[in-house]
Amino acid sequence: MILTRGKRPEGLTVGIPRGLLYYRYDTLWSAFFKGLGVELVYSEPTSRKVLEEGAAAAVDETCLSVKIFMGHVRSLIGRCDYIFVPRVDTFGHFRDMCVRFQALYDQCRNLFRAAGQKFLTYNVDGEFGITEEMAFLELGQSLGFPTGEVKRAYAAAKKEEQRAWREKLRAQEPLFKASGTKILLSGHSYVLDDPYVGKPITDFLRSIDVTPIRADVVNRELALKKSVELSPTCKWEISRELLGGIALYRDQVDGIILVSAFPCGPDAMVNELLTRKLKGLPLLNLVLDAQSGAAGVETRLESFVDIIRLKKGAL
Amino acid sequence: MARDPERMKKGTKIIHGAFPRYAEYNCAMKYMAEHGFHNVKFIMPPALTKRTEELGARYSPDFVCTPFKTLLGSLIEALEAGADTLVMAHGYCRLGYYGELMEQILRDLGYEFDFINLSDYDTWKKRDWLKVLKRIDPKLNLPRLIQTARETIRMVEHLDDATSEYYQICGFDATGGGCQRAYRSFLAALYTADCGADIENAYKRVKQEFQRIPLNKPKRPLRVGILGEFYTVMDPFSNLNLEQKLAGMGVEVHRWMNLSNHLIHYGTVKNFEPKIRDLCEYTMGPTSTANIWYAKTCAEHGYDGLIHVKSANCTPEIDIMPVLQNISADYKIPTLYLTYDSQTSDVGLMTRLEAFYDMIETRKRALS
Repeated sequence: MILTRGKRPEGLTVGIPRGLLYYRYDTLWSAFFKGLGVELVYSEPTSRKVLEEGAAAAVDETCLSVKIFMGHVRSLIGRCDYIFVPRVDTFGHFRDMCVRFQALYDQCRNLFRAAGQKFLTYNVDGEFGITEEMAFLELGQSLGFPTGEVKRAYAAAKKEEQRAWREKLRAQEPLFKASGTKILLSGHSYVLDDPYVGKPITDFLRSIDVTPIRADVVNRELALKKSVELSPTCKWEISRELLGGIALYRDQVDGIILVSAFPCGPDAMVNELLTRKLKGLPLLNLVLDAQSGAAGVETRLESFVDIIRLKKGAL
Repeated sequence: MARDPERMKKGTKIIHGAFPRYAEYNCAMKYMAEHGFHNVKFIMPPALTKRTEELGARYSPDFVCTPFKTLLGSLIEALEAGADTLVMAHGYCRLGYYGELMEQILRDLGYEFDFINLSDYDTWKKRDWLKVLKRIDPKLNLPRLIQTARETIRMVEHLDDATSEYYQICGFDATGGGCQRAYRSFLAALYTADCGADIENAYKRVKQEFQRIPLNKPKRPLRVGILGEFYTVMDPFSNLNLEQKLAGMGVEVHRWMNLSNHLIHYGTVKNFEPKIRDLCEYTMGPTSTANIWYAKTCAEHGYDGLIHVKSANCTPEIDIMPVLQNISADYKIPTLYLTYDSQTSDVGLMTRLEAFYDMIETRKRALS
């Protein structure tokens, strides 16, 4: 991050890669930057091309979601003043992010060093007492905006985010009362919401008359508390939300699909624990890789749904 | 413990404790467990073998990092050897979740044991670690424990120091094996040490012997810096004896990453972070700052090559690879990236090491 404190920037453009935390914080980020009058440039939604370009740039062994993210970053190079890559370490005790999110900003800077692109970040690190609010304040100040203005923009953006989140929660409520097969989808939002990777799964399930319900669309504070029942030492914020979501919703659905991107670190372990602990509920562990055909995944989904329907006597 | 039966107080249950194999550090754990507590007998898990790895891999999730599989295998072998209490470490990366998943897997396999998962005690408050000690030994003798802890730390420091020196000189040993014999008997002495003096004497002896051994060392030997993931980089079984292989080719092998440097003396390296600020602004992972700093330091000191060691799927070490690539480009230092999983073969590694050696050797001659 380049410090330009004191000089109010004019006509600043910030590029937002549509990957990873974008799916969690889109509302917050866009409202915050709009509040400051910063122009936003978004990368195109994920496609085969984005994935391929990202995979070519990223370290081979990294996870699918990071490869996709790098594709988005690459497509934004030269199209904006800064590319926005937040660093989120931990929100507090036992509320970590995967280490990948600690490294992401510096990883991007090193991967794309030759391109001469500037990157912008904010740093949330609960272990050192740096909250999200402080991180945004620092971000706004480092760009040269007056403190008061940054504070107001953040407060308004946070309000907007909470409103949008409440709406999302409300929209899911009627789904539990839907007739027919209901399946809980548990996966990181950047996997499930990604139009190339996860969206096809939701769409396919709907096409065979299944109601997909999201484990991560849940009261987050409650989910964090509930997660301990399933896994007492799980320390990843997003995994804990999913664990809590599963604990809260498991009695209201007919089956669970654990969706993860190959080879997601936290999922590799947490999903193993879940398959061992969640007895009595049909469960499918779906690991998505960079394959191009959808037929394989569709066959697995179809047979999973058939098993559930057979079990219920509905087939 | 059997050495000193009167130390065991009547009526206290004896714990047969075990910690999975970890390089040569189990001698320190044994010393700590048996001398610090009055009711613990340390069960030494058998040395790691292909069987350990296969056992672990069979019951582990597919794409967890390799140390998980090795450690799980080692815990199973410890249980087979008679352990009834297992201890699992805590850590910043996925290591912090090892314990819970391992316990679940072992219980599903039908083993019965008491499990001390250090992650359970992580509350960000240092005094809560005392609870672990109290759980092991309710009649804890704190002064004795502190004394033992001091001696154990000395043991780890000596072990790391001797190991570091060993790999720097053993490739040039003119006696054909004297160096290795001295190092091995030093290890044996640590595994059987009974008091602080034993540890100090063993260390003094090995240092003297290292001094005495004549070396065929060129004035400017090939120097290679080794860095990487906390477990694989230190454990000779897991990295297929990488350091010994390199030393055997006539290379001075350097490695900063060990238990004493990273856990005990971490603070002694001044200004870790500012020194690598040009490469990364923030901490990128649990061992990343030290590894990036070490790679940069080796490059600045004109080492002939770097080897980055990690297990398959090690997230933090994968993430620093772009940084290492930039160091390699900036300082023109050849870097070999090694990823170990349970399939990695000895022959494959040897081929890569020979090619790397030929390259840095030719390069050195051409440049000098």
